[in-house]
Amino acid sequence: MSDAARPPPGEAFGDDQLRIPAADAAQAQALADALRAQGDWLEVVPGLACVVVRFDAAHVDPPAALARLRSRLETVSLPAAPSLGRVEIPVRYGGDDGPDLAALCRRLGVTRSELIRRHTAATFRVEMHGFTPGFAYLGGLPDALHVPRLSAPRQRVAAGSVAIAGPWCGLYALSGPGGWPLIGRTDFELFARNAPDPFPLKPGSQVVFRDVDGCAP
Amino acid sequence: MTVRVLRGGAQTTLQAAPRTGLRHLGIPSSGPADGLSMALANRLVGNAALAPALEITLYGPRLRFDLDACFALVGAPVDATLNGDAIAPHESLRARSGDVLDIGSMATGARCYLAVEGGIAGSAAFGSVSTYLPAGLGGIEGRALREGDALALADPAATTEGTRTPPGLRVAIPTNPALRCCDGPDAGLLDAGLRERLYGGRWRAGLRADRMGIELAGERLLLPSGGQMASAPVFPGSLQCPEGGTPYLLSVDAQTTGGYPQVLQVARCDRHLVGQLRPGGPLRFLARTAGQAAADLRDKLAYFRDWVPDVDDAL
Repeated sequence: MSDAARPPPGEAFGDDQLRIPAADAAQAQALADALRAQGDWLEVVPGLACVVVRFDAAHVDPPAALARLRSRLETVSLPAAPSLGRVEIPVRYGGDDGPDLAALCRRLGVTRSELIRRHTAATFRVEMHGFTPGFAYLGGLPDALHVPRLSAPRQRVAAGSVAIAGPWCGLYALSGPGGWPLIGRTDFELFARNAPDPFPLKPGSQVVFRDVDGCAP
Repeated sequence: MTVRVLRGGAQTTLQAAPRTGLRHLGIPSSGPADGLSMALANRLVGNAALAPALEITLYGPRLRFDLDACFALVGAPVDATLNGDAIAPHESLRARSGDVLDIGSMATGARCYLAVEGGIAGSAAFGSVSTYLPAGLGGIEGRALREGDALALADPAATTEGTRTPPGLRVAIPTNPALRCCDGPDAGLLDAGLRERLYGGRWRAGLRADRMGIELAGERLLLPSGGQMASAPVFPGSLQCPEGGTPYLLSVDAQTTGGYPQVLQVARCDRHLVGQLRPGGPLRFLARTAGQAAADLRDKLAYFRDWVPDVDDAL
């Protein structure tokens, strides 16, 4: 691959992990998929701007693991980012389903209906799985809706919660702790644990949101 | 031919080998929070280190054996009786059909492990029978044990009675654990003062403590992160530091990615001790280089390997 497209060398941290910076989530996904296919590592996990690999520190020294990673990065070729089908997700915005919506409207200086209009007008792309099973990181949030995450995570976020933080929209498949402001909630099954394919959304899926109340007859 | 659950206890789950290679799908590791204690329990009854066994948290279950079986308890010290008579840990004991095993409270540590000869049957999900409570995966219907459950033994046998852990290998659960750690990817956010607070501070495990992670108390760590870090992979043993100043030490059910700064990582040699942190109990962090931590891991594995040949799987 060309030098311009070549990922930078990795760095070690902890005692059994190596991290490679990535330009964006799509490059992280592609690099992680390529490294995972080589079969050298216990885990190959993409983030939004990096990839981390975990090695077996009982049998591989950290310097040897780093040398192996750097040699793999010399020859790795990155697959093209997939573009998959479009999925519509119905959302109940605000109230108990989106307990941070009102505060976000005040912070952003927009009305409730304006915030919902902007969220439902955008087309998102699933950039990454992560956090807990079925959680999806969606890119494509309009600039006007960027807000910081909570300074202290909530102890309990309801399953199906729709959240925003920074440039991302996140979908919580499970109930549990979570640090992103919540704007609504969906009944769409994000993690179908018993289905042959448990993940209805995949990196590359296109997502649009529909305001359930706004569409009521 | 089963073990009947007469009382589930505070949180008793079936755990086995972790789920590996699936974190990119958001699927956590799970498995025993203290893998070394579980391996020592399984060893006494002739099982593989991570054969499915019960992880018992703070207050234990009451079980009735409906068959003859050998079992062993290892981990946090616990009051336990068989038909009302006190029993010892670190020993393979024989239960006869009708016997009642009652496992009470732990005064130090947080978890002990009950291994039964032949292993306990559970349902597999994503390649492991380890229970992951948040998604209801694995184990017994993906949940903690409750009254009325019937546990099936995978391969019932009772041949190991009297096997004892050699005295030198009976790991004491520390009341004031010092966890060896290496720098995490965001350790650059620590100035000298913050580093002193992190490694010299009097931390305690907070009351929000489960298999996903443990909120720390006693000190605060206010990092200059600006709140805009991109979500990055996290692992059991990662210390996340939200802007509010209350760090969160991740355990075996750790989420797979997170956006808060990660300033340290508990080294693999001591990660099993995270599973013994008790709400309110003290803890300290010890700084190690990656090279020192790798040597510490090899030493610890070598120490146990003669007794538990497959200890590498559990630590």
